[in-house]
Amino acid sequence: MEKTKWIGFACSYTPLAVIHAAGFTPYRVLPDDKSPDQAGRILHDNLCPHVKRILDRAAAGNLPELEAMLIMNSCDAMRRLYDAWQKTCPQIPAILVDLPVTSSQNAIDFFRDQLERVTGVLENLGDTGINPERIENSIALYNEMAGYFSQLREKNRRGGMKNGAVVLQGLYNRASVEPPEEMIAELAGLLSEPDENLSSDALPVYLFGNVLTDPAAFSLFESCGARIIAEDMCTGSRLFTEIPLEATGDFLADYAGGLLGRRPCARTFDASEPGLLGRVIVEAAKHNGACGVIGYTVKFCDPYVARLPEIRDALKHEGLPFLFLEGDCTMNTIGQQKTRIEAFIEMLR
Amino acid sequence: MMKHYFEQLENGLKSAIDGGKASPRKHYSLEIARLGKRLYSGEDRVAWCGITTPFDLLNAMDITSCFVEFIGAMLASTGVAGDFIEEADQIGYSSDSCSYHRAVMGAAVKGMMPTPEFLIGTTSPCSGGLAVLENLAHRFAKPLFVLHVPQDESGKNVRYLADQIRNMARFVSDATGASLDSGRLRAAMEHTNRARDIMTEVYDLAKQVPSPVTGKDLSNFGIVMALFLGTEAAERIARAYLEEFRRRAEAASRNASGEKFRLLWIQNRIQFKNPLESMLADDFQATVVIDELNDITWEPIDTDNIYEGLAKRSISIPFNGAIENRVTHLQKLAREYRIDGAINPCNWGCRQGTGSRGLIEDGLRQIGVPVLNLEVDCIDSRKFTEGQFKTRIEAFFEMADAKKGNVY
Repeated sequence: MEKTKWIGFACSYTPLAVIHAAGFTPYRVLPDDKSPDQAGRILHDNLCPHVKRILDRAAAGNLPELEAMLIMNSCDAMRRLYDAWQKTCPQIPAILVDLPVTSSQNAIDFFRDQLERVTGVLENLGDTGINPERIENSIALYNEMAGYFSQLREKNRRGGMKNGAVVLQGLYNRASVEPPEEMIAELAGLLSEPDENLSSDALPVYLFGNVLTDPAAFSLFESCGARIIAEDMCTGSRLFTEIPLEATGDFLADYAGGLLGRRPCARTFDASEPGLLGRVIVEAAKHNGACGVIGYTVKFCDPYVARLPEIRDALKHEGLPFLFLEGDCTMNTIGQQKTRIEAFIEMLR
Repeated sequence: MMKHYFEQLENGLKSAIDGGKASPRKHYSLEIARLGKRLYSGEDRVAWCGITTPFDLLNAMDITSCFVEFIGAMLASTGVAGDFIEEADQIGYSSDSCSYHRAVMGAAVKGMMPTPEFLIGTTSPCSGGLAVLENLAHRFAKPLFVLHVPQDESGKNVRYLADQIRNMARFVSDATGASLDSGRLRAAMEHTNRARDIMTEVYDLAKQVPSPVTGKDLSNFGIVMALFLGTEAAERIARAYLEEFRRRAEAASRNASGEKFRLLWIQNRIQFKNPLESMLADDFQATVVIDELNDITWEPIDTDNIYEGLAKRSISIPFNGAIENRVTHLQKLAREYRIDGAINPCNWGCRQGTGSRGLIEDGLRQIGVPVLNLEVDCIDSRKFTEGQFKTRIEAFFEMADAKKGNVY
């Protein structure tokens, strides 16, 4: 059996299809609390715990045999991860991909060229030439997986999955590190199962933010009386949404436009509509029938913390109750928030 | 209130200069006062911007423009930043975020930021600054333009940024009705290039041993001078420094020097009044001879390819790109200025700067330059703990003294 060749990544803007087309399996280096805290030797205390935990894993060798680590220049912390990675883990080459903050046409053109550069780097790393057909096939594969995830999210939304948010997060985690071909078969199987007839007095809540990977966190929300009917998290649905191809004949350009044109996280925005993120969150919460919104971000995340007041205002304007939680993206800190989550749900009743 | 403050400041400085008490720092402060007066006059077309905006281009269009962090620094230097930071915290800004930006947002909420005609965000140097400009654009309901500054000059990066700057000029015209005259743009770049040449001479003089620089002479100089590029003011300020440094260098060659330690200041100064600089000078005979941003990292702007030149300049600032660039730049400065030690005020909330302090420390240590990392908030004086700083500084100089003794 051919050995799996992994390329590490850490951001939901990563061009997974390009990695796949080059014959590699994308491997998301998810933060965990199993590696000793060593990142503090290089990175300051006030830097994103997501980045620090990724670096901890690298320092401890708590990773599969990665051929390279592809880091998107999505924020200051990720740029510092690129710097620190080279010092901590020089045996695994780091590739920095510059990521525009808007989706204007020249930004898309620029990002397309970045993807082309990555394509060349990956071709050199592996032995697989990347041609347009391979890229198209890989995009189609990831779109197929995203389509299944989309249907599973809908199934969860209508209450047809027991512990739906918990199950979905487990699947997202696996789909972030396993070959898409294997995941697709499993997702199709899950979809073919009939809806469960669940009755619950849990309240529908919309969740947004960045990094929260442990399914136990979603169990905690449920145990507090919340049903996460939809979410927009970096480590959740954001990585697995379909990217429509415009059939321009340039798959990299289409892919670049598709990645930048996804629902924006806090670091990407439309300059012609400042403050859009708050309205996007409001619309998503209302569209999904949520009666409250929970935001969860890792501490020191500038793109989110800077926009929280605007998000809070937008939700308040629409009468949507809002609970904001900050943590270190593990259960170590979210467990302490249980009382606040319970109180929030009580308030919603 | 702010307009009155800047008018008074301008009048006071002008009287001092006219009365024979001129100094380069007074010329520099006078231009700052004039800029502040224009920003708050209610008459000028104002733009709030990111740090790597090409201000000379905006000056050529008669736009009074300024990076927002300048306001944070100004509020701190006048001792009132705390109130504005508190205001920002009240509306939900996290105390973990940069207090330059929190002070600015607090000022906007309290109506102390003039309403701009437009805003320009830049992705360099930091994510937080860009987010603040988006928030301000939303608050003021004014158009926003974003410059994505690539990490380096590879591939088509320079052309990509140059095209954005061209688009930015069109955006400014659309937003204000101001047109960009090619003759004025060219003249602005000639001012920029002349100021660049004089500043290069100023920095070369500052490298001398002993240095003609005293502790505060060039604090915030490089970053603020960007605001005056493209105008005669930049040349005027730079020339005042050049003449004074030449005079001091001449005098220094005849007199004994009290300069014992030559220091490199990393990133920005602490903006509120504090005793550190006088402590360094009086207690340890230490002089900050170079601030990280007081350097020319760019070639003269080619007046036949202005946009490409501006793009290269924005890409070249040491805060942009991988940390390797920044460390290499700091090592270069440390060698050129014959530095004995470096001080890094790790501004709480600055992910861009403080985030890389471990790598900077390692890089300077490799060339034998010890680094004192200070945990400080450069804007919020309420968090300043003088006693703790003093202990750390004393220990640092004890170590540096021993090292100097061993070496020489």
